[in-house]
Amino acid sequence: MAYQLTIEPLGETIEVADNQRILDACLRAGIWLPYACNHGLCGTCKVQVLEGEIEHTEEASSFALMDLEREEGKCLACSSILVTDCVIEAEIEPEPDAKNFPIRDFFATVARIEALTPTIKGIFLEVAEGGLQFQAGQYVNVSVPGVEGPRAFSIASSPSTPGEIELNVRRVDGGAATDYLCERLKVGDRVSCSGPLGRFFVRDSAPEPMVFLAGGSGLSSPKSMILDLFECGETKQVTLIYGARTRAELYCVDLFQALAARYPNFRYVPVLSEPTPNDAWEGETGLVHEAAARHFKVLFDGLKAYLCGPPPMIEACIRTLMQGRLFERDIYTEKFLTAADAAEGLAKSPLFRRL
Amino acid sequence: MADRKLGLKEKYQLMTRGLDWETTYQPMDKVFPFDKYEGIKIKDWSKWEDPFRLTMDAYWKYQSEKERKLYAILDSFSQNNGQLNISDARYMTAIKLWAQGITPLEYYAHRGFCHVGRHFRGAGARVACQMQALDELRHAQTQMHAFSHYNKYFSGLHQAIHMRDRAWYLSIPKSFFEDALTSGPFEFVTSISFAFEYVLTNLLFMPFVSGAAYNGDMATTTFGFSAQSDESRHMTLGLEVVKFVLEQHEDNVPIMQRYIDKWFWRGYRLLALVGTMMDYMLPKKVMSWAEAWGIYWEENGFALFNDLSRYGIRLPKYHEIATKEKLHITHQAWNVFYTACPATGFHAWLPQPYEMDWLSEKYGETFDRFYRPRYELFGEMEKAGKRFYTNRLPFVCQTCQVPDFFTEVDNPMKQAVRHHEWRGMKFNFCSDGCKDIFVNEPEKFCQSYIPPQQIYQGNAGGARTLQEYAAWLHCPMGSDAGDYYSSDDYKNWLKWHGGRDTSPTTAAA
Ligand SMILES: Cc1cc2nc3c(=O)[nH]c(=O)nc-3n(C[C@H](O)[C@H](O)[C@H](O)COP(=O)(O)OP(=O)(O)OC[C@H]3O[C@@H](n4cnc5c(N)ncnc54)[C@H](O)[C@@H]3O)c2cc1C
Ligand code: FES
Ligand SMILES: [Fe+2]
Ligand SMILES: [Fe+2]
Ligand SMILES: [Zn+2]
Repeated sequence: MAYQLTIEPLGETIEVADNQRILDACLRAGIWLPYACNHGLCGTCKVQVLEGEIEHTEEASSFALMDLEREEGKCLACSSILVTDCVIEAEIEPEPDAKNFPIRDFFATVARIEALTPTIKGIFLEVAEGGLQFQAGQYVNVSVPGVEGPRAFSIASSPSTPGEIELNVRRVDGGAATDYLCERLKVGDRVSCSGPLGRFFVRDSAPEPMVFLAGGSGLSSPKSMILDLFECGETKQVTLIYGARTRAELYCVDLFQALAARYPNFRYVPVLSEPTPNDAWEGETGLVHEAAARHFKVLFDGLKAYLCGPPPMIEACIRTLMQGRLFERDIYTEKFLTAADAAEGLAKSPLFRRL
Repeated sequence: MADRKLGLKEKYQLMTRGLDWETTYQPMDKVFPFDKYEGIKIKDWSKWEDPFRLTMDAYWKYQSEKERKLYAILDSFSQNNGQLNISDARYMTAIKLWAQGITPLEYYAHRGFCHVGRHFRGAGARVACQMQALDELRHAQTQMHAFSHYNKYFSGLHQAIHMRDRAWYLSIPKSFFEDALTSGPFEFVTSISFAFEYVLTNLLFMPFVSGAAYNGDMATTTFGFSAQSDESRHMTLGLEVVKFVLEQHEDNVPIMQRYIDKWFWRGYRLLALVGTMMDYMLPKKVMSWAEAWGIYWEENGFALFNDLSRYGIRLPKYHEIATKEKLHITHQAWNVFYTACPATGFHAWLPQPYEMDWLSEKYGETFDRFYRPRYELFGEMEKAGKRFYTNRLPFVCQTCQVPDFFTEVDNPMKQAVRHHEWRGMKFNFCSDGCKDIFVNEPEKFCQSYIPPQQIYQGNAGGARTLQEYAAWLHCPMGSDAGDYYSSDDYKNWLKWHGGRDTSPTTAAA
């Protein structure tokens, strides 16, 4: 049995499994709560229960959480579990730019499938009943017949066409769901989805120019975000640095070149890591973070950066940005994690909240 | 938007930052004279993220509740003669070492945070440090109160502050903290809040508090939990300081790296005492030092430094040496405690058979090959009525002040000694780590007050023999010092238990 947990002041709702610690559920859903010992001793993870009922586990020390605090409805997120659906308030910053569209479960019909590159398929899904309201950058969870558990795919189309959403799915070697989606899915099939999910969106109220760093099928979210920005008349400088292996793996080139021609404040920098002689490539070469370092002369101070793609690319980009003096408060990421990444997940320290 | 609820961050900033102002009668540099000379560059204090948001109101409310709880438990502990329920009177050596060595550090921490709570230019950092100063005073006081009950029944707890200034082995923690206290404000918070309270804290607190619980010491367990509930603020302060400073200016990175290198090594050397407590002083064992090092440093510490590497900070220098040494240092330290205990304020003993087996299990070859034979020899000497005591004071490292008992990492049969000449004087060190610290700050460390040298120079009340030194320490042999089995503590313990030696016979709790 699972419960719904809403976290204020974010207003985001997540699922918490039976006996799952609140902190664990939040961190796994990409919501950072302050914590330190993760063991009921220090009190760093204290939150206020606004609605619903929780149970304190035995780990919750009576000094880290005193009786008078328990009576006030406080609990230690690392050492409590849900007994009903709950609303909690945590010491985290509200996100003025989050639109908090409600999450729903729905079926979508495959309208079109396009081979974007030899490894990435564009899957266009028709969503009935007025379509899917989402914030550019968010993703949907897709369930595939015969595969246990849903898989996350970012929406690549603009929120202005909610009736048809586009996914860019890269086939993962040995990947059950992506193999199905890329090889067996047919036009007219119905797909079970839920969404919109995630907190990867443009911080619109921030005055800083933006840089998008994307790799592989990680172009999906940035594509949606950039389309949305220019449909809404963006005036700040926007740069997209997009990396692919070869020319054949590079997609949506025409779209972005056209945008760059039309908007002087948009710059498009495609970069190939392994161009073949046939590609006759004259553009940037190397990895995304290397191109970014060259492009900005290793000085990123004063930007907002949005990173999307496979975990190693994100990590390399974070390091380059930090070397160029851009830090956590100005870096937003969407890591395309797979089961393989989760399995080898290196232990994290509480040094960073979101990165 | 007009009636939008203020976020906690905004509310807290209104309450704290509003108390601060730019001075006009005096230049700010005169009002805050210490926060620039280290070379740390702060461009914008407003980027400081409060590590916690606690109002004074809430602080008093929570802390007084914690005190009420703690003292209720301490009272019932003494009314029920809780001292009789500890696993064995040998356990008290751990408490004595804590009371003599660590509790004074809590008080030093109080002083240090008062100082930086005045001298940081940023109001957010000042407020955080001021609250920590109060916490640390509370820790010192509650520990003294918790131990005062034991002081009625056991030796070695009667004059911790007096001993801190006189005992050769207590100069290890004392010099550690005095080094921090006399540093610039950024080095102080890096050393204490970051290196000690964040990176190494689990190696100090977890074994000690769990050790107390395993050995039936409810008083210590309770103050441990009570103190740990404050530590969250201290740890997050440590992390915030390091992030803030590293993000403020790239020139800060090498300075912070040097602080981290230095304070990792100093903290690690200090923890040799804690490791020895885990492996030897606790009759019921929690985990071995080597295991604790593996979990808290090799796993958690590495995860932290992996994250820090994004700032260009690398693992502390000589960390790999510390990891190799984990199989040796506690045995080497206990050997010194065993042989030098007449000149201390606690008792020592040979590990009992169940403990020898536990050590073999935890340390395998290193213990059986290098340390077991030594204990077996000491055991034979005891049987023959010739209990071995060393008759000299140790030679100690100029930096960490630990006696010269460490060995070369790759050769446990060879004593490790390093030398350095400076201004015509020769200085001695236990390790490259300690030597490097001296070389970076020779003016500071040439002044180290080295107890054995002072004693031999006649500055220990003129003591010339060990007996005279023990008298000056107020810790005479038999009552406060010397072998456990000929001590008053042991005699009394037997008396209180109808002549029965209660020592456990297995390591498991
Ligand atoms: C928020 C988010 C957004 C995303 N957006 C996109 C997107 O827009 N486009 C896109 O292409 N991708 C996206 N991804 C990545 C996508 O979700 C994964 O590629 C997908 O989940 C893979 O599913 P699969 O069933 O094909 O592979 P899986 O069967 O889950 O396997 C993935 C890999 O892990 C290995 N593996 C499986 N189980 C284990 C295990 N237990 N231990 C070790 N290895 C294992 C497999 O051999 C395979 O190599 C996104 C991911 C996230 C988290
Ligand atoms: S993180 Fe320490 S109590 Fe929860
Ligand atoms: Fe403390
Ligand atoms: Fe502390
Ligand atoms: Zn030393």
